[in-house]
Amino acid sequence: MADLSGTIDSGLAPTGSGPFSRLAREQYAALIAMRARIFANNFRTSAGAFEFGARAISYFIYSLMGLGLGAGAGSVAYSLVSHNHLHSLSIEFWVICILWQAISIALASLQEHFDLGTLLRFPVNFGSFYLLHLLFGLIDASTLAGGLSCLGLLIGITLARPDLFGITLLVLLEFAAFNILLVRAILAWLDRWLAKRRSREIISAVFLLVTVSVQLLNPVLREDKPFTHHHQAGGPKTGELRPWVSVIRTTQAWLPPGLASAVVSEADLRDSSAMAASLGILGIFVLGAGGLLGIRLRAEYRGENLGEAPSRSKNEKREAAWHIAGSGPISAEIEKELRTLFRSMPQLYAVFVPMVMVVIIGSLFRTGVTAIAHPFRLAIPICVAYGLLGFTQLIYNNLGAEGKGIQMLFLFPVPVRTVILAKNLFHGALYIFVALASGVLASLRIGRPDPDVIAATIGWFIFALPANLAAGNVISLTMAYRINLGRIGRQSGSQANALLSMLIQTTILGIGVGVISLCAVFDRLWLAAPILLAFAVVAVIAWLTVLRNVDAMAHARRDTLIAKLVRAE
Amino acid sequence: MDQAAIETHGLARRFGDLIAVENVTLTVTQGQFFGFLGPNGAGKSTTIKMLTGLLEPSAGTIEILGQPFSSTALHLKRQIGVVPEGMALLGRLTATEYLRFVGRMYGLDRATVERRTEELLEFMQLANERRKMVTDFSHGMQKKLALAAAVIHGPKVLFLDEPFEGVDAIAAGMLKTMLQGMIQHGATIFLTTHVLEIVERLCTHVAIIHQGRLVANGSIEALRAGVASTLPGAESGQRLTLEEIFLSIVGAGGGEPVQELSWLT
Repeated sequence: MADLSGTIDSGLAPTGSGPFSRLAREQYAALIAMRARIFANNFRTSAGAFEFGARAISYFIYSLMGLGLGAGAGSVAYSLVSHNHLHSLSIEFWVICILWQAISIALASLQEHFDLGTLLRFPVNFGSFYLLHLLFGLIDASTLAGGLSCLGLLIGITLARPDLFGITLLVLLEFAAFNILLVRAILAWLDRWLAKRRSREIISAVFLLVTVSVQLLNPVLREDKPFTHHHQAGGPKTGELRPWVSVIRTTQAWLPPGLASAVVSEADLRDSSAMAASLGILGIFVLGAGGLLGIRLRAEYRGENLGEAPSRSKNEKREAAWHIAGSGPISAEIEKELRTLFRSMPQLYAVFVPMVMVVIIGSLFRTGVTAIAHPFRLAIPICVAYGLLGFTQLIYNNLGAEGKGIQMLFLFPVPVRTVILAKNLFHGALYIFVALASGVLASLRIGRPDPDVIAATIGWFIFALPANLAAGNVISLTMAYRINLGRIGRQSGSQANALLSMLIQTTILGIGVGVISLCAVFDRLWLAAPILLAFAVVAVIAWLTVLRNVDAMAHARRDTLIAKLVRAE
Repeated sequence: MDQAAIETHGLARRFGDLIAVENVTLTVTQGQFFGFLGPNGAGKSTTIKMLTGLLEPSAGTIEILGQPFSSTALHLKRQIGVVPEGMALLGRLTATEYLRFVGRMYGLDRATVERRTEELLEFMQLANERRKMVTDFSHGMQKKLALAAAVIHGPKVLFLDEPFEGVDAIAAGMLKTMLQGMIQHGATIFLTTHVLEIVERLCTHVAIIHQGRLVANGSIEALRAGVASTLPGAESGQRLTLEEIFLSIVGAGGGEPVQELSWLT
């Protein structure tokens, strides 16, 4: 055998180790350069430039929302600290913590994430991989909103008590670190759990349990509010649940938001040892969240594949025992859509979770905590509209799940219109089901609404469905992006699509709110249904017009569609 | 004269300033096993995309089975089968479900779809994996499934973009037999591959595209004779392989190749 020693000049720089080694720094520089090139290349196409514009607008909106949250948090904090109610700061910390996590999960599929898995073929050490995951994850709406809320809190507390500035800054930094790490860990673990059937079932059960628990706790948490006759008749007795509330109150004090609040209170009391202990325990939580994220990232770093990889027994069970009636392309497409939806937990959650949340929203109306003049009267349309929020991605990116299969759309001897019509029929049926279920669930919680409210809700729905489908078809063909059906986070979402779809949905909702509110103000609510039906006629005409032109639009955008949806994950 | 299955005149495709395919004029007669060759980036996949309606030509015309073809010619799409670049599979369906879906989209009745799906899964040796989701298939299995989907409706013209890539030797042999059977039954196959031995064994005619232009077109024998006559050192009666023909034609315009890499010697 030939001796090859010394014949190859590797030309490699000394590797070093750790996230700050020379090699790692070179890699960061390369990544920054790569991201800069991608950013610059966006402007080569009008679509890319438009996407950048949409991203800028989105972040401007997120910033405004964050500033609003920050101002609110600051005002409340100032008021609480000025009136010496420092112990109540824990509520603010809890709200910020929950919002931080919720915003991140809710917007995960709409934000673009760079998939660091592509870096694994390079000699990237784990420390760098972890650090990069954190840094890339920082550029999102939740960090912006959470960060600005913390800033508001800092300003509010400092204005009320300048002597607390130092400790508040320290605790908020620790609290922010915890939230950043926790949200990354939750997304990473959710992706892992939702990829496996058993853990998926456990997650669903836990979710339902939490929802029901909130329902049980609701009357207790609102014990100082006037109850409706429903509560008095059949609801759980407040006294029975009071020990549990006490347990919850004690427990929360040992959790990060409670600990963060405690640090400020203890600083106020000049109890240094308690303050140090609270800071220390909060630090342990930060390390814990970092550790949880680390476990997940370590598995990814080692090349874990989150594919379904089902067992043979599960394979054998997965017989296509059911079919949609008919043998034509419409039934074939509907059957495919249905099977695909049932195999994508993130999409199932997106569609059905708002429906479950309607139960909670219904409870808010039931206990009368809202400031609406006629909360019960308009609760049903609000719940129905909320229940339909989960359809944004399905309707406004209805080709996104096709992936490489988009090519078949142009190869089949079937007009694109037929395929889009099939998708619309499927999504429409699902939309009707969710709207009905939301309406029924809300009615069960709030009570049967008046006939004119039901008519107005149906009128709005008949308008909203074709309007959403018409707009959704146009946006799906012009701003499609690939959806990874197995993941919640790290999607390659399009801000342009997200922004426009939200704007259109808000407009559709706004028309409904405007018409119903005006009719209610003039005490002519029965008039809302015919007015909304007139809007519905226009929406149906728009939908049919779009359908008629779908083939021309699809063929005109064919290259871009294929390029966007076929591109590697 | 044999009828043309595929005919192009002055076919061209530009992406901005880049000319991917330029003035490609060729005829593939019915029943022909046609090899479409070229180095990486020569324009093979772009040509196939135009011929199957996945890409709009910038110029030129296409006729399939004697009729003008465009992306909206649905009656012609019914007559063609395609294994496109990237295979166009739907990852969240099982193999059975995918084939059923494709069959129905081509307008086959349910009973025919069921029968052909079963036959194809058996033939492609995917029957044991029929309930696995496509996303969990190996690359070779995905290729076999893409081929099965391309032939489920019994196309008269079959476009195959690298169909043997990643397929094991046993399956490749089986597929070759299937494709030859289709030719015997009058189908036309338009094949692109980098495996020149396969082309030499299966195809009667080849065209070579280089830098977007058609640089050779004809029967393998005709190309062999043409190239042999231009080689100064070629001995009379020497039988050139397709690889030698290909390198002679494509390599000729490629300039002086780099012989070695400085850091690997």
